[in-house]
Parts: sequence; structure tokens; C-alpha cells
Amino acid sequence: MSAITLWLEGLVRRRAGRMMPAVLGVTLTVSLLAILGIFINASASTMTQRALGDVAVDWQIQIVPGADTAAVIKQLRSGAKVRTADMVGYANVTGFRATTGGTTQTTGAGKVLGIIPTYWKDFPAELRPMLGATEGVLIAQQTAANLHVAVGDSLSVIRTGMPPVKARVDGVIDLPQADALFQAIGVPPGASPQAPPDNVVVVPMATWHSWFDAPGVPQSAAAQMELHVRLDHTLPQDPGNAFVFVQRLARNFEARTAGSAIVGDNLAARLDGVREDALYARVLFLFLGLPGAILAMILTIAVSGTGGDRRRREQALLRVRGATTSAIIRLESLEGIVVAVLAALLAVIVTWLITRQMVAIAVGQRQTIIVMAIAVAVGIGTALGAVVAPAWRETRESSVRLGRSRIGREQSPFWERTWIDVILLIVAGGVYWRTAASGYQIVLAPEGVAQTSVSYGAFLAPLALWIGVGLLVTRLFRHGLTHGRSFLTWLVRPIAGGLAPIVAASASRQARLVTRGVVLVTLAFSFAVSTAVFNTTYNTQSAVDAALTNGSDVTVTGTTAYPAGPLLDGISKVAGVRAARAMMHRFAYVGSDLQDIYGIDPVAIADATDLSNAFFASNDAAGTMRLLASRHDGVLLSQETVNDFQLHLGDLVTLRVQSAKDHQYHAVAFHFIGVVREFPTAPKDSFILCNADYLAEVTGDPTREVVLIRGSVPPEQVAAAIRPVVAPLPGVRVSDLGSVMRAISSSLTAVDLHGLTWIELSYAILLIAAASGLVLGLGLIERRRDFALLAAMGASGRQIGSFLWTEGLMILISGMILGFATGFAIAKMLVKVLTGVFDPPPQSLTIPWVYLAVLILAGCASTILAVTIARTINRRQAIQALRTI
Amino acid sequence: MSDVLAEAVDAGRVFGDGDARVVALEHATCAIARGDRIALVGPSGSGKSTLLHLLASLDEPTSGVVRWPALGDKSTLRPSRISFVFQSESLLAPLTVLENIEVPRLLAGIRADVARGEASEILAALDLTALADKLPEEISGGQAQRAAVARSLVTRPDLILADEPTGQLDHAAANRLLDLLEERLKGTTTALVIATHDPAVAARMTTTWTIHHGVLT
Repeated sequence: MSAITLWLEGLVRRRAGRMMPAVLGVTLTVSLLAILGIFINASASTMTQRALGDVAVDWQIQIVPGADTAAVIKQLRSGAKVRTADMVGYANVTGFRATTGGTTQTTGAGKVLGIIPTYWKDFPAELRPMLGATEGVLIAQQTAANLHVAVGDSLSVIRTGMPPVKARVDGVIDLPQADALFQAIGVPPGASPQAPPDNVVVVPMATWHSWFDAPGVPQSAAAQMELHVRLDHTLPQDPGNAFVFVQRLARNFEARTAGSAIVGDNLAARLDGVREDALYARVLFLFLGLPGAILAMILTIAVSGTGGDRRRREQALLRVRGATTSAIIRLESLEGIVVAVLAALLAVIVTWLITRQMVAIAVGQRQTIIVMAIAVAVGIGTALGAVVAPAWRETRESSVRLGRSRIGREQSPFWERTWIDVILLIVAGGVYWRTAASGYQIVLAPEGVAQTSVSYGAFLAPLALWIGVGLLVTRLFRHGLTHGRSFLTWLVRPIAGGLAPIVAASASRQARLVTRGVVLVTLAFSFAVSTAVFNTTYNTQSAVDAALTNGSDVTVTGTTAYPAGPLLDGISKVAGVRAARAMMHRFAYVGSDLQDIYGIDPVAIADATDLSNAFFASNDAAGTMRLLASRHDGVLLSQETVNDFQLHLGDLVTLRVQSAKDHQYHAVAFHFIGVVREFPTAPKDSFILCNADYLAEVTGDPTREVVLIRGSVPPEQVAAAIRPVVAPLPGVRVSDLGSVMRAISSSLTAVDLHGLTWIELSYAILLIAAASGLVLGLGLIERRRDFALLAAMGASGRQIGSFLWTEGLMILISGMILGFATGFAIAKMLVKVLTGVFDPPPQSLTIPWVYLAVLILAGCASTILAVTIARTINRRQAIQALRTI
Repeated sequence: MSDVLAEAVDAGRVFGDGDARVVALEHATCAIARGDRIALVGPSGSGKSTLLHLLASLDEPTSGVVRWPALGDKSTLRPSRISFVFQSESLLAPLTVLENIEVPRLLAGIRADVARGEASEILAALDLTALADKLPEEISGGQAQRAAVARSLVTRPDLILADEPTGQLDHAAANRLLDLLEERLKGTTTALVIATHDPAVAARMTTTWTIHHGVLT
């Protein structure tokens, strides 16, 4: 039997228990890295898939008048994998006219679309049926409201430069994607978006041709064709890569059609918007998870380090018997390999069990294999590094005796002499100050630009703080324990009693071991606390975001044609409704910028929704509402608008709002009274807030489109009770807080941290248990010879316990206090550095008290367990230990 | 008052069971009286350490009994009544030589300043003052054994059990150590039992017990 086989057999048969802590440490490292990698991939893939699902029409290809449509289609099909391509006719008209109930209504300019019969099936998200048929002449709901027409009524299409044509309304439809459907194709990036037309009629393609480009009909420049395309969605998983792929595909197509067609690339635009979220997701996953993996690696090395004495003895024996350095390294490597193989197997199983439960989307097998391979490679490196590196270092020692040294009066390490710890803390403070002062975004994905960038430099602050604190704690404890013996003696006297001088001396001489324990516990607690506080703050902000998005517990959103306001009385009487308030939602032009304008009752709106002080620049929600109520023509604008137009409080502002009489936008004067940052249901960017009565007065339309409801029972129940009441209203939407929150937390605009949170917080507890229990316990067991000697000298169990408890409590309490302080500081830094992921940014950190209590309990329980087990093992193995003396 | 400090009656000690069963000591009967100087001789693995461990109450016999008629209750034997000297370096690694010698006194509940004084005194008596602030890893094997002897003497015990204290020392160092012990015990009633396989060491004692394959003769 070769030496290697003999050694391996000995390891497996007699050292299995001793290797298990290292196996568990490497398992933690590998599985955490693998889970993170899989989550990053899954997250990117989910975002891409959701982005693809959101796009109603991938490409809107505008065919240049006079171009060969058949040639364009041929080029399209030859260059890209096309699933569907439908021709759609677009024609501008002067307006529409209808006579109903003895009056004639005429609208302003509008559009007539021509679609083929399969368009509904091919692009189901573009058109939504509301009343009547889905074939024939279909009128948009707002146009129907403007013309006062219903299904069966007639209308005239007033063509530009041609006589009007008459048509009978077959159905009323909604155009949910009107912005994209009527987008201006080929305009330069960054151009102001234009409002979709108010008046739209959709007709069969044959009818459209007969009206606008049939032979004999004068060709109108206002009529043109678009090709609506659905592409094959086999794209790269990462949104950034998918964006670049789709964008290049469109440019390639445009180049090949030589100016005959211009692509309105909705797919690329959607992916463009997701790229930033995907980068944030990657950054979040990495920065919240990676420290855990690094900590697991450090713990593995520390755990392996506790077997140093044993290894030194083994090596000394091998060297005495003539083993060469390479032979010793080979034999020691066996332990590392056994640890690595066992840990890799365990980690694969753990990863599979966890990801199987949490990642719903199928992850590309190749990527999973790459992630696992990297994680396992790191694990093997850690295992070998933890075992072989110390062995190699030992063999380099000049003598066996020196190798046995474990107390020593050592020289200060390089980092301590060069004050690297303090430098790192200064760097952390400097980078944090720069980030906090400038408020720049660390993730940049400029619209339309393929390149993205993540300013990983911003993470230098928390990283430098983490490492700096670790080193500073090392410095302080090593020096404090070595030179502060009197204080230490005083400190340990409650536990050690008369043995205090000896216990303090022992702890002082073992400053290296005690300090290692304190640093590990500090880092473990700081990781757990920072992760928990950040994640809780993030989730709280998601809830705030949901409340802002939905507006209230339950929100009923009507349309211009069918507003929800008239149903307010009925809604108020529904069981479970505590308060219901209606508000207007219209649009207004500020200069050339079209913004949402909300007309509210400032005195009563807070009955149905929560208004945070942070919503207003004055930081006083109630005061701002009182101010608005006192100023009939008062208006609250966003900060961006105020900056753009250099407004001052009290300025007269002219907005253009749509009049109910002629459906045209007219200038109306408002008085600027304050800045609004957020408001229930309002968009994230610019919007306007004013008195509902004044808006009704100047537009001639008192209807209120939205009803906000505060419930006395869970929002889902209120929503369910309200739905039957509002059901008769075509196009009405009832949303509750719970479902909006679920949608937000898994939407593209927010990264779902729940899965990661669960894993991280669980791993954090394990790491704390390992740091405060395993490392301490193994260290104490390793020193059982000393405790056996004490027992031989007559030390009672309580007296030996005072040595164990002093060390255990010193490590736990110091590590816990320092870890909590560092954790909160890092959480604060992370929130500042990652401000971009918060919408709205948090005003303060949210503290997960229960979880923090669990952390403390875990630390205490691990320490108690470690000391108890160490005492038991030391007592049981005392004789065995004495026989080796 | 009995003069028998410790006695074993038909004492045996078996380790493990089944195939791993090892009989370390069987039917051992012996007694140690005040002032005795006993050499316990036998080859390695003969059961010397096991018998000393039983007599020091560091271990329990699996058969027979071990008693301490003149020393009282078992729980009060160490550190004041019985001291043990091990065969290899047995100083506590994190403590200096002086602190190591203080430990038994502190364990006995003596005040720290008193313990420090006694430890310093014994170090001076044994000419070890220069080593007082040294850590065990900073001194030689012979110095460490002398310090261990100093630690065993500091409590002024009734019985010192020394398990091959010279086993790892050269002849000269071993002689110095034994001289030291004899000198310190001269005129006292402290009994000394030294386990050894060195005939020269055994020759310095007044009584010799021989042990072979766990059987004491």
C-alpha cells in the first residue's frame, strides 16, 4: 500500500469528523456563489422574457412612400426570424363629424388606421374591444365620446383634400398602446414625445385602401403604410445583449432596404429600459451576496487553521522520518482534495435544492454549468488553500520547534506598520462623501446607446469600510489584549474571580487567536446586519412604491369616456370601504411638454390615501394641502419643471388644458404655489397637481376619472366587493395594493430581492453560528491539552469554565457590538450608493428588529453550545490528553 | 492519623472494549507512606503512567479501589495535597514560567499577590528567577522540566507523583533535576514516587516497585 493510499485511508477513517467543519465551510462558499450566479442569470433572463412579453409590436416598419413593399417584406424575412408581419395603413384626416340627438359634433384632426382581419389575433395587445363588433368600422372610445356616437350610429370622415366619406360605427375599442402605435418613426433620439391622437377610427384594410389610396383617388401624402412585425423571441438572455442584438438586426435591415423602410424598434426600446434594471440586479446580487461567500472562505481558512497544531505535529513526524517537502505537501493536499470533493458534491445538492424551489424560470443549462464550475473551482481553491498553504508555510519554517510555536511575541504585520486599516477607512469615508455629495448614478445605460457602465468604484466605500474595520479591529484587539492586561483582568474578574490575573494573561498571550475570533464574529455580524437592514429598507420602499403606484388601498380607474367619478356614491356604500374620494386625471401642456395633471379636493383627499410629508418639497403634506385649498388657481409642479422654466413661488404659470367644448388645448393661468415630488397614482417623472374645482371650471368638464378608496378590511376584499359595482363601466380597472405590490416587486422596474434575501439571511445566520460557535469551539477543543493540564493541577470544572467563558464571551460580545455598528454603517452606505434602485429613495433605514434579535440569539446559542461542547469533550478526553503529555 | 497517603487495592484499569480492549493495569496493590522515596520502574507501556494517574486521582480504576487515607476527601487532593509532574513539557503555553507556577496556588483560592510571592520565592530557591518572564516556548526542555518541578513544589504537597520527569533530558540535566527535588524535599515528610525506566534514577530512591505488562510486583 502506497503512502498516499495509507494516508488517504487514515484521513477518511480517522479524520472524517475533523474534516467536516472545513467541508461545511467550503460547501457554504460554493453553494452561495453558485446560487448567486444562478440568480443573476435567472434574473436577467426573467427581465428579458418579461420585456419581450410587454411589447405589443416588436417593430413598426414605416415604408417610405413609393417604395416597393414586396421587396421590403422580402428583405425583412431574409434578414430576421419573423413570426408575423401585418400591413397597417395610417392616414391623417382633418377630423370626424357625427350628428346625434339633433346636434352635430366635429372633432379636430385624427387618424384612420387600416388593418387586416388577422391583426387582432397577431397583435392582441394593440386593440381592446369595448362595445359592439371587432370587425368593420371601429371607433376609439374617446372619439366616440367626443362625437357622442354609439354602435350603429353614422359618422363622416373628413379627408384632407378629398370629400368626406360616411361610415357606420360597428364597435367601440380602446387603444392601450396608443403611444407606441402612433409614434413618430425615424425622429432623432431624445426628441419630445408627441401625444397620441385624440380621434382614431380603425377600418378594414380594404376600406382604408378605398378611402385613401385606391386607383383614381388622389394620393395623399398623409397616408402611408406600416409593417407591424412580431420577431422570433429567441434572444440572448441578458437584456443588454438582447438589446444590442435586436438593435443591430434593425440597423442591418434598414441598411439592406437602402432607405425604403425605417424601423420603429419597440423591442429594442423596451429592452433598453430594462438594461439598467438588469445591471442594478447584478450589482445587488453581487454586492449583497459576495461578502457572504468571501466570509465563508475566510471562515473555512480559520476553521482549517484550528487544526494547525495537529498538522504541525504530523509534519514534524514526517520530517523526522525523512519525508521531503514535496512529499509532505502531496500528503497534506490529499486532505484538501477530500474536503473539496465532499464539499463540491454537497454544494451541488444544496444549490439544486434551493434554486429548484426559488427560480421559476428555466436557466440555460450551459450558463448553469459555467456558474457551477466557477463556484466549484473557487471551492477547490479555498479547500486547498486552507489546508495546503499552511502546510507549505510550515515546511518552510527553519525548525520543528519554531513550527510548534503558537503563542509567540510576533512582529507587527506589514499592513499594521503601514496603517493600511486607517487608510482604508479614510478611503471609505472619502468615497462615501463623494457619492453622497454628488448623488450620481452608479449604473449608466444611456438610452439608445449599446454601451453600459457600472461604476463599481462606488462600492469601494462599503468594501473599504468592511476590510478597514476588520483590520482596525485586529490592530485594536491585538494591542489592547497585549498591553491592556490590567483592564482585562478587571474585565474578566466577574467570570474568573480569583483566577482573573491568569485568565487575563492567557487571553492576552493568545491575542492572535482571540482577535481572529473577534474579527470573524464582527465581519459575520456586519454582513448579516447590513444585508438585513438594506433588504428590509428595500422592501419597505417597494411597499411605498406600491402605495404610490396604486394610490390607495383600492383604486378604481375609469377612462375619459367612462369616468369612475359618477360611481363614487355607489362605491362609498360598499362594505369595507372606509373612505372614497374621486380625482381628475387629465393631461396638460407645460410649454411643449405634455404632463399628467391631477385635479384633487385638497381638504378631503387625505381621507382616502396617505400623503407623506416627503411627497412635497415643503416636507409638510397637510400644510401644502391647506395652501392649495386656499388658492383656487394654485398649482403644484415638479422640481424638474420648476428648474426648466425658472419658476418662483407665486409666479403665474400658463398651462394648456383640453376644453370639453371643442376638444382643443387652450391656455389657462395657474399660480405656482409649491413643488410636488410624488403623489398617489402619479408617474415618477413630471406631473401637475391642482384644485379639481378649478380644473373643472377651466375645462368645462367636471368628471373625475379616478376613485381612491381606503378600506377597513384587506384591500383584496374591498376590491372584490367593488368590482360588481363598477362592472357596467366599460374599460374600468380596479386595482388593490396587494396585487400592485406583487407586480412591482417582480416587475422590470424593480429587482426581486425576496429570493436573494431569504438565502442571504439564512446564510448569514449560518455564518454567525460558524464564526461565533464553530471557530471558537474548535479552537477550544484544539487546546484540550492545556485544559487537561489545568484539570491535572486540580482546577475544578467551574474554574476551567472561566477560561472558556471568558474567551467565548469576549469574542461574542465584542464581535457583536462592533459587527452591529459596522453593519449599520455599511447599510447606510449601500443605501446611498444604490440610491438608483430605490423609488422613492428612503428617508431612513428600516430596522428588521426581529431578524436582528434572531442574529443575537444565534450568536449567543452558538457560543453557549461551543463552550458546552468544548467543556464536555475536554472532560471526556482529559485522560487521553494527559497520556500525550 | 494514618501515615498512608495513598493506596491501591487490587486496582485495575482497562481501556476500550472488544478488539480494542487494552488491560493497562491489573490487580495492583500498593501503599505510599509519608516520606517515601519510591521508584516505579518498568518498560514503556508497562502501566507506570496508568498507576500514577490512579494514585493522583486523575483517572478512575475500572476494578479495585484507590484510597488516600491520610489526605482526606478525593475532591481536595489537588492542587494542595498531591502534585503531578509529567514526562514532557507540561507548562501552560500562554503563561510565563512565573504565572505557570502561580496557577496551582490560585486554583487553591490563594490571593493573587500571595500566590505571586510564593511563586517568586520558589523560583529564586531553584535558581530559575531569570526564566520568570519567559514563555514555555522560549525555554529549553530541561528548563521547562525544572519549572514544572517548581510548580509541583509550590503547593508544599504531601505527595509528588512524577511520571518519567527525566525521560526527555540528558544524563546531566536529569541528575540536576533529581538533585533539585531531593534538596527541596530534604527534611520534609513529602513522599515522592518517580516512574522511570532508568536504573540510575531508580537507584536514588529508597524503594523500587516493578511493573510489567500491567502487573505490579
